[in-house]
Amino acid sequence: MITEIQEGKALSPVVKHVTQEKINLYAEASGDFNPIHIDESFAAKTPLGGTIAHGMLNLAYVSEMMTSAFGQSWLSGGKLRAKFKEPARPGDTLTINGKIDCVEQKDDVSYANCIFECCNQKGETIVTGETIIKLLGDKE
Amino acid sequence: MSVETVSYEELIPGYKFPPATYELSSSLVSKYLDAVDSAGDGFVPPLAITACAIAAMTGSLSLPSDAIVIHASQELEFFKLVPIGATIECHIGVAQKITRSKMGMLILEFEVLDKSKDKVQSGKATIALPT
Repeated sequence: MITEIQEGKALSPVVKHVTQEKINLYAEASGDFNPIHIDESFAAKTPLGGTIAHGMLNLAYVSEMMTSAFGQSWLSGGKLRAKFKEPARPGDTLTINGKIDCVEQKDDVSYANCIFECCNQKGETIVTGETIIKLLGDKE
Repeated sequence: MSVETVSYEELIPGYKFPPATYELSSSLVSKYLDAVDSAGDGFVPPLAITACAIAAMTGSLSLPSDAIVIHASQELEFFKLVPIGATIECHIGVAQKITRSKMGMLILEFEVLDKSKDKVQSGKATIALPT
């Protein structure tokens, strides 16, 4: 867990390797069997040129970073807004970085506003977004 | 059991997909944690709940087999920890439908409730697909 909630503080990054096997497992777990994720021959014929990871798989990695940093405050009082910029593909190594952008007080409750980015090994941005975490302990 | 499906063309703003109920068993959560390569922390990961909500929609939406559905953006808000073994109810509906030349865009809103009907999560997903 993050010990100092202060502006500019970096969150511990999460690094994940995307494989077709992981994508297939995610399809099984989520019930999302869209062929663009799991059918390599179908996906090869599309403008995407191959299979891509589910956007929600990428967001799961973001949520892991937020859970490590904020624990229960994230799980029961987190908000997230994300834009998917580029697809993540099998073979990609994704690094999710985030930092506390600002800390706000509203009605005696503190909120940490964070920004995050998920990039692949080529430095391409896959997902960007922001989160707001209601910090437990202030008025709970 | 057959699931009633609706086609993309039939969707209109205000349309509500049939609510879906999921039991978040330890085996379901383990499967999810394996897929996302995470150790977990004793609670249901909130994104596993989101995945159920989205599955509630995709299970009822009939799309051409060659349709490429692209997830463009996602908003989420978490309200409550969900213990493993809990049962949740997912409600999802169409907030907006935008069609531009060869592209369609759906903005879907969802809400997830627990057994006591307390809101545990809500969100908004934007998906794009060729029309």
